[in-house]
Amino acid sequence: MIDTFGIYLQSLGHVVGSPAHLAILFGSVLLGIIFGALPGLTSTLGVALLTAVTYGMDAATAMVCLLSIYVGGTYGGSYSSILINIPGTAASAATALDGYPLALKGQAGRTIGLATTSSAIGTIISMLFLVTVSPIILHFALQFTSFEFFLLAFFGILISGTLTTPDLVIKGWISGFLGLFLSMVGRDRLQFYPRFTFGIPELDGGIEVVPVLIGAFGIPQIIEVLKNRVQVGEIQKLQRILPEFGTILRNVPKIIRSSLIGVGVGCVPGIGEDIAAWVSYGAAKNTSKNPENFGKGEPTAVLSTEVANNACVGGAIIPLLNLGIPGSPPAAMLLGALMLHGVTPGPMITFEHPTFIIECAAILLLASMAMWIVGITLAKQVVKVLRIPAPLFMPIVGLLCIIGSYALGLDITNLYLMIPVGIVCYFLTEMGYPIAPLVIGVILGPMADENLRRALMVTQGSFWPILTRPVALSLVLIIAWLVLVQFPSVKAFKERWAANVLGRFRSSRHGG
Amino acid sequence: MLDKDKLRKADVFSGAAIFLFGLWVLSQALKMPMKDSWGGVMNVWFVSPALMPLFIGAMIMLLGALLCRMGLNAIGPEEFKATLRWLVSADLKRVLASDASVRFYAIALLFLTLVFINLPRIDFFLCAVLFLAAFITMFFFLDDGLLRAFLRFYLAGELLLLVFFALGLHRPAAETPSMLPDLLAAGFIAGYLCFVRFRVRARADLRKKFRVGLVVSLLTPFIVGPIFKYFLMVPLPKEGLVVAALDYVWYLEFL
Repeated sequence: MIDTFGIYLQSLGHVVGSPAHLAILFGSVLLGIIFGALPGLTSTLGVALLTAVTYGMDAATAMVCLLSIYVGGTYGGSYSSILINIPGTAASAATALDGYPLALKGQAGRTIGLATTSSAIGTIISMLFLVTVSPIILHFALQFTSFEFFLLAFFGILISGTLTTPDLVIKGWISGFLGLFLSMVGRDRLQFYPRFTFGIPELDGGIEVVPVLIGAFGIPQIIEVLKNRVQVGEIQKLQRILPEFGTILRNVPKIIRSSLIGVGVGCVPGIGEDIAAWVSYGAAKNTSKNPENFGKGEPTAVLSTEVANNACVGGAIIPLLNLGIPGSPPAAMLLGALMLHGVTPGPMITFEHPTFIIECAAILLLASMAMWIVGITLAKQVVKVLRIPAPLFMPIVGLLCIIGSYALGLDITNLYLMIPVGIVCYFLTEMGYPIAPLVIGVILGPMADENLRRALMVTQGSFWPILTRPVALSLVLIIAWLVLVQFPSVKAFKERWAANVLGRFRSSRHGG
Repeated sequence: MLDKDKLRKADVFSGAAIFLFGLWVLSQALKMPMKDSWGGVMNVWFVSPALMPLFIGAMIMLLGALLCRMGLNAIGPEEFKATLRWLVSADLKRVLASDASVRFYAIALLFLTLVFINLPRIDFFLCAVLFLAAFITMFFFLDDGLLRAFLRFYLAGELLLLVFFALGLHRPAAETPSMLPDLLAAGFIAGYLCFVRFRVRARADLRKKFRVGLVVSLLTPFIVGPIFKYFLMVPLPKEGLVVAALDYVWYLEFL
């Protein structure tokens, strides 16, 4: 414990003591806020584009850069939500419901201040979870066999498909399986047999993850914004930014609840900050003494959503670092960046890079502090970027996507794949297919493939050990439940059962 | 995203396409070694490289078929027939020629030409200036009539470049690298910008936007390019006329 704390302090000192690191920290946070604030740009895209810039850095410095832009981007979305009622990112969509009415009441400065402090607190609490929960997860993960890893990857794809779909659940699953297919391209890692390469040598090494991610997230975003001519409305006047410590102190239980929601949702593979914010908003409204105020400018609503979406950052990093499974789309980008820097996340991370998780925790703390300082002092300047028209910055983003994808492998084949993937992903998005499961599928595909075959090699083709191992059995049951509840008859039975239990609970309370 | 009614109609077709794709994956997976020897390894079904592709193909097929069926159930046979009729009617042509569709074609064309025609053969800086100048002028003016005109001009220029490259005229006769593609691209940029300036000559607001767009198009590559080339040491996809000039300036002090 003392060792851990020592490493933590040492990591803090390492960043704070170096002017270059401090410049990277503040610069990346500021860039993240700008990316988050500008409608159409997201923290995922920010992390993706900055990954190329971190190419020549060591892993720790790269993490300073990437975690800072992730934290800043998640928070930055609140600016446009509060000031123009257009969420800068999906994560801040719930913030707009009450943030914008507050701004209309002339409290924009106060609301931005509240969002800033709430976001910083959310990130810090999630950092605490990262430090405390990681050793427990790692302890269990080291007992995992190939079956568990295969099932975990499969579960990640299915749960991501189930929870992120804007339309039918089946579309989320299709998206996940399309991602799995993309991950099969190239020579398989056990026998080096070329799969779906069509004799093209450039495809032998498989599809590079990061260019696919940039294409899948970046290109549809550019098309969406410019095709539909997304216009920024009138920007509300921003008064003095106040940190709102009073409101924070009066709402400690709400902060704890929202943090737990944020970290919990973040830990679920592939589920982003947007879902954390909506769940937290719902919980805050359901437990509020004045639910009728929600949607009309309730400060605790802004507090709940902003704590939760930033707590999701640390939550998403927990499964990423400990199991190699990204908890959110930006975390998926981080995974690509980590692999680029020679760090393979997973149960072996504490053996290969013993201090890495603690370093990440320290960076998260510093990023949240930098975000708070930048948010409180520079918000008035940063909101000026909202006046830049999308047709001016979107082409630049497009160019950065192209050069960024090329720079990651110095291979133009990456671009030949990125553009078609981007255009196909645009059509998929238009038809209600979520992109996150596709990305999770691309990332977890090799893990699922290798572990399934390795497990079956050990058992000589028998699936029986799944039933004898508690974790594997639990995962199988959860997967089966996820699939079964989509059937109308099972869904109806579940609803009847829930209504029955709820009815009994209510009658017992009235009786008591 | 499409609205609910259109989504269910689209589900029928996207489900069918996904089913066919799954079938193709399955057919490809069946060609992979299941029991034969590959690289000295005797395969059994559970070690085979086909195992996961078979599973994926089967699942894609199943889910695609389910989606198609759900869509058909939701819209009913009459609506399905009406959708089929719509697909061969003049209405579809109207949708395909709508302003929103043209905006999509423009974005797709800009990206496709940059990646598949320009970047591998023309100096990065010239590619970037052309891409940004065309992109910004097509969308910044918020005028679909102008966008169509600029798109036609850009398409014509890119077709000429494509013919030039397809005929192999860019390959140098001598050993020295040819700057001809770069000079052609520079000419194309100048021609395009003159055309845009000519089309907006009568409108003061657009002339101002043109100036802003021009500055952004010219400045951005000269900020982004040197960051990658000289600070991150990333060789650019094609280094030609402008990179040679920049190299000369950059390394001048070391000569």
